[in-house]
Amino acid sequence: MNKTININLGGFFFHIDESAYLKLKKYLESISKSLSDDPQGKNEIIADIEARISELLSEKITDARQVVNDQDIDDIIKIMGQPEDYSDGEETFKETNYSYQTNYNSTKKLFRDGEDKILGGVASGLGYYLNLDTIWIRLAFIIFTVFGGFGFLLYIILWILLPEAKTTAEKLQMEGTPVNIDNIERKIREEFNNVSENLKDVASKASDKFKEGANEISEKFNTAFSGKQKKNNGFQEILDVIVSIIQTFFKIIGKIIGVFILITAASVIISLIIGGFSIGSIEWLNVDENFLHYPPFFYDSIIPSWLLTILGFILIGIPFLLLFILGLRMLSSNIKSIGKTAKLTLLGIWIIALLAMIFAGLDFATSYVQNGEITEKKPLQITANDTLVVKLKNDETILFRHNLRRSSHKEEVFINGKKMAYSNYVKVDVQKSATNESYFIVTKSSRGKNKMNAKSNAEQIKYHFTIENNTLILDAFYLTDFKNIWKDESIDVTIYLPENATIYFDESSKNFLYDVENETDIYDTDMANHHFIMTNTTLKCTDCEAVLEDKNEINI
Amino acid sequence: MKIENAKAQMRKGVLELCILAILKNGDAYTSEILSGLKSVEMIVVEGTIYPLLTRLKNAGLLTYRWEESTSGPPRKYYVLTENGALFLKELDKTWNNLVNAVNQVISSKPTTHE
Repeated sequence: MNKTININLGGFFFHIDESAYLKLKKYLESISKSLSDDPQGKNEIIADIEARISELLSEKITDARQVVNDQDIDDIIKIMGQPEDYSDGEETFKETNYSYQTNYNSTKKLFRDGEDKILGGVASGLGYYLNLDTIWIRLAFIIFTVFGGFGFLLYIILWILLPEAKTTAEKLQMEGTPVNIDNIERKIREEFNNVSENLKDVASKASDKFKEGANEISEKFNTAFSGKQKKNNGFQEILDVIVSIIQTFFKIIGKIIGVFILITAASVIISLIIGGFSIGSIEWLNVDENFLHYPPFFYDSIIPSWLLTILGFILIGIPFLLLFILGLRMLSSNIKSIGKTAKLTLLGIWIIALLAMIFAGLDFATSYVQNGEITEKKPLQITANDTLVVKLKNDETILFRHNLRRSSHKEEVFINGKKMAYSNYVKVDVQKSATNESYFIVTKSSRGKNKMNAKSNAEQIKYHFTIENNTLILDAFYLTDFKNIWKDESIDVTIYLPENATIYFDESSKNFLYDVENETDIYDTDMANHHFIMTNTTLKCTDCEAVLEDKNEINI
Repeated sequence: MKIENAKAQMRKGVLELCILAILKNGDAYTSEILSGLKSVEMIVVEGTIYPLLTRLKNAGLLTYRWEESTSGPPRKYYVLTENGALFLKELDKTWNNLVNAVNQVISSKPTTHE
């Protein structure tokens, strides 16, 4: 069953098969190309030709209901001649002839082979193109499918984009002269010869014209202008040659760029697939550790992480998929465009993915705008004349590092198989108690979308301490939900001491003291291993001579 | 060099003469000119003639008029102009000279002086 079209050709009315119509249209277009550039003459000639074709057709088609088919058009072309037969006797249109012939005879094109196929005939088509036995191409596809799944994707893309060789001409083109190094070399040499011949030709013409022009100038000053005119023409031709050299150059460069684009796009798509698999599988299997790091974005969003993975894949994958196709098309002119509908669909999907990502990003960005705190007050059995020892203790079984002392400097750890964030951002301060009681306050602070959210995040921070006699042992770290790894969180421990109570900072507390006020303004790190007594206003060191001397010397 | 090309080139050179000669016998429309040329195998494919007719018309050697047809749209009838007739006379003369000359060359005995 074929679709038919009604056409008006040279004043006659015809029913014509769609394929026959396309053939006729192509034929008339290539005639138009092979004719000279004068548009008026061209239109007239085309009108005459159309009139003649309609006459020939109406001789063949005696019944008005009969449909013009491919065979009829072939017969017409046989009578009328190939497009190059139309070129005028006096002028020759080398270029158009050349391109017409190269399109249909000499160059080889990539097609799918419908006669030797397992799926779509892509492998056998490629086999003809690369002059390799089909089995090797198939093997390569299988190997690439097993390792990374890329072969399958490539196959599908080629299947969609490559036309099948249906007509004899196409089959011949598919099987045509193999593209190998020899042929490429020959082609480049031919092209180069062409250019250099043209250049010589033009150069000699131009020099003639220069001479002519110069003669005219010397002979007749008044005709200097026309001389100049001719020189300009010479320049024009040289320019044309330069342009054609550049065009050839860019054609070759274009192929090279095409290969690069192809490789780049392919590797990005492969890594996306591998990355996507790992986010999906490795994460679930808990194998991860330090192999891959995804932004906490993926964990602290109302959009589930698997969906974010797909969105990310779409967002990066689609542009590279298009680049991949562009690369293919740069290499072979026979690759079909994917079509407007497909392009618009891809664009639509991409925009949706982009909007979803923006939404997730905004959602994430607003997830730490507000500050929230949880405080906990604990009594200490310290009175005047007692000495409190402050120690900080790290749990080496969790993480050997204990220098993650910045608000956003956290490390991921696993506690009983659960992924958590680890930090050493614990700050210890000492203040004077307003009463005679001694106590300490632990403040957990975190951030969130709103006060409530921030507070509940702060509640989730895990922090421990123990009191043994007069020794306060504080954890040197805290643990928090992994989704909060990027949030500013901290633990503040403030110890309140009554007057005349003494405090001793153990060596382990050295790096955790934070802006502790004292009478002689000793630096926090210098306060460790020393005793301080609480005066009626602030702390005073009782065994700091050496430190103070150092300090004074520095001051001097 | 292909023999077909050589033959085509040879024919192409005298095609103008032939067209003008056909029109000298009376006005004709494209199909008539074509059948006249094809019957003596002056042309192989019809396409050759269209650019030529337009060129001759543009050079003022022939002109055309539209004539109603009983079967279909009006037809383009080509007419020889006065200039065309003069041109034909000149070409005719040249052709006769050429035929004589070529025949002489072909039939001349090889190496008469030795």
